[in-house]
Amino acid sequence: MEQMKLTSNMTELSSELPILGNEPGSLKLLKAALDSSISGIIITDNRLNDNPIIYCNKAFEQLSGYQRAEVIGRNCRFLQGKERDQEARQAIREAVLEGKSVTVELRNYRKDGTLFWNELYISPINGEDGKVTHFIGVQNDVTRRKNAEENLVFERRQVERKVEERTLELKENQEYLDSIVQTIRQGLLVLDPDYKVISANDFFLKTFKVEKRETIGRSLYELGNGQWNIDKLKNLLEKILPTNNPVLDFEVEHEFPHIGKKLMLLNAHRIELEGTYKDRILLAIEDITELRASENRKDDFLSVSSHELKTPLTTIKGYNQTVLKLLPSDINPKIRSMVNKIGQQVDRLQKIITNLLEMSRIQSGRLVLETEEVDLNLLVADLAEDFKETHPSHLISIEGQISGTVPGDESQLSQVMQNLISNAIKYSPDAREIKILLSEVSNFAKISVTDYGLGISVDDQKQIFDRFFRVSNVQKHFPGMGIGLYISEQIIRQHGGSLWVDSEPEKGATFSLTLPFQVKEEGHG
Amino acid sequence: MVKKLLICDDDADIVDMLEMVLDEPGFQLITETDSRKVLELVLNEKPDLLLMDLWMPVMSGDQVLQQIRSNELLKALPVMIMSASRDGQSIAMDAGASGYIAKPFDIDELVTRVHQLAE
Repeated sequence: MEQMKLTSNMTELSSELPILGNEPGSLKLLKAALDSSISGIIITDNRLNDNPIIYCNKAFEQLSGYQRAEVIGRNCRFLQGKERDQEARQAIREAVLEGKSVTVELRNYRKDGTLFWNELYISPINGEDGKVTHFIGVQNDVTRRKNAEENLVFERRQVERKVEERTLELKENQEYLDSIVQTIRQGLLVLDPDYKVISANDFFLKTFKVEKRETIGRSLYELGNGQWNIDKLKNLLEKILPTNNPVLDFEVEHEFPHIGKKLMLLNAHRIELEGTYKDRILLAIEDITELRASENRKDDFLSVSSHELKTPLTTIKGYNQTVLKLLPSDINPKIRSMVNKIGQQVDRLQKIITNLLEMSRIQSGRLVLETEEVDLNLLVADLAEDFKETHPSHLISIEGQISGTVPGDESQLSQVMQNLISNAIKYSPDAREIKILLSEVSNFAKISVTDYGLGISVDDQKQIFDRFFRVSNVQKHFPGMGIGLYISEQIIRQHGGSLWVDSEPEKGATFSLTLPFQVKEEGHG
Repeated sequence: MVKKLLICDDDADIVDMLEMVLDEPGFQLITETDSRKVLELVLNEKPDLLLMDLWMPVMSGDQVLQQIRSNELLKALPVMIMSASRDGQSIAMDAGASGYIAKPFDIDELVTRVHQLAE
């Protein structure tokens, strides 16, 4: 069925009414035509008070939800509900006054109170005297279009807001990252693939006493009259980094014209992620000149002090041992015992000095292993023999055998075994037996030292390898500094093995260590 | 046979102690605290063995040792280095020592090692 959509040209249509009016039944036809329109149509009579509605079609009833009887006689403004001051009203008012047609969009309300957008076309009908007698109002519900438009606007605003938020977030993120980069106490450079400086943080500028403007955008090698044109650095960036990414702890020493000799530790990272930042190079520069100098001073101090402590100890030991030898056989046993004890205390002092020096070396990462092939069977047998003489209170038994030798530092491995055996003796005052078991496990040599003494609780087992840790209930009765096991563990670890304990309180303890028969080649970072 | 031992340590207490504890019929001792005089003493006294410290002022033990090793007349002399320094052994061996003993040492061990080297 074809429907008429009367949105415009009402003036033309009304001018043709007389023609239609000549046909018989034409008014009925006209009414049928108006009722079949999907546009709501009303006619108001401007000659009557308050310009009341005198006609509405079916579509208007459907559109507004009002019945014809509820509409006739009222001014159209009731459709606006409470929104009487809409902008479009002004346009209507002007058109009515001037007798012109106008199209406006109004927010109107149906009888059930629901809102619809009404596209209203108002056209005046002039009487013979030229005065406006009627208005024809054609109404279309454009809510869907309006909503779509509004949605569009809303969505556009949403998108705009999101973009704004995102931009702000990015800016915040950028500032956040910047502040991190600026806060770290390390120089940080970002280079493009051609080694031009994209950014440099404050710490870099401060450390190397350079200005930002003479740094950014310049080639790294040209900075400060070529003071960064360092062969080792060039080698790192151009030769090593392309195949070994990232490069960590790369040491470079260089004499800078203004700030003098600097020892630097570099981390270089080339960005491999596809995208804007690909192939940029991050270069973190730590100035370790002072740190290294202070490490060296500490090392020197410890070397000198341990040397100075050991020298008088050598004299005491020499005299003591000779005195012991020269004592007449019928000497008062008390005197012999005291001279003996002096010797033992000298040995103890010697061990403490050695341990302190070893610990400082371990801490500064300078535990140097002098590797040779070590026969562990011999090492253990010799030590057991020594302990038999000095500690007749305990019986040390050796079981098992290790075929072949292990690569290691004999004096340090001996120190570890001494620690383990003397601990076993020290912490089993009421037991007599110490068992040493030599065995082979896979490609490791294994040595276990078992005592039947105090034992160690599970909680304490976790901490006994820590520096200066002493088991609390043991502390009062057994003197010591708590560095023996720490050093032992570090030494065994340096050898590529491990040291651990199995123990139950009151039942004793077994300390076991493993040492690889072959040293693994370790990659150096 | 009596072995002639030249002992050099800048620490006079160590020298005193060694003089006393090594005072046995098998040894004839010459002692010196100034390392600069060692070379001349070696030339004049022709000891069977030189027992020498490492860290000494003006001229260190390894410097003296290098001079001995580069001297055609003296280079075969057995030299035992004694030191309280941790790196003593490697420095001594690099400089051409025949033996090394760490301070503080056992007198018995020192005597045994000296006898071995002085053969």
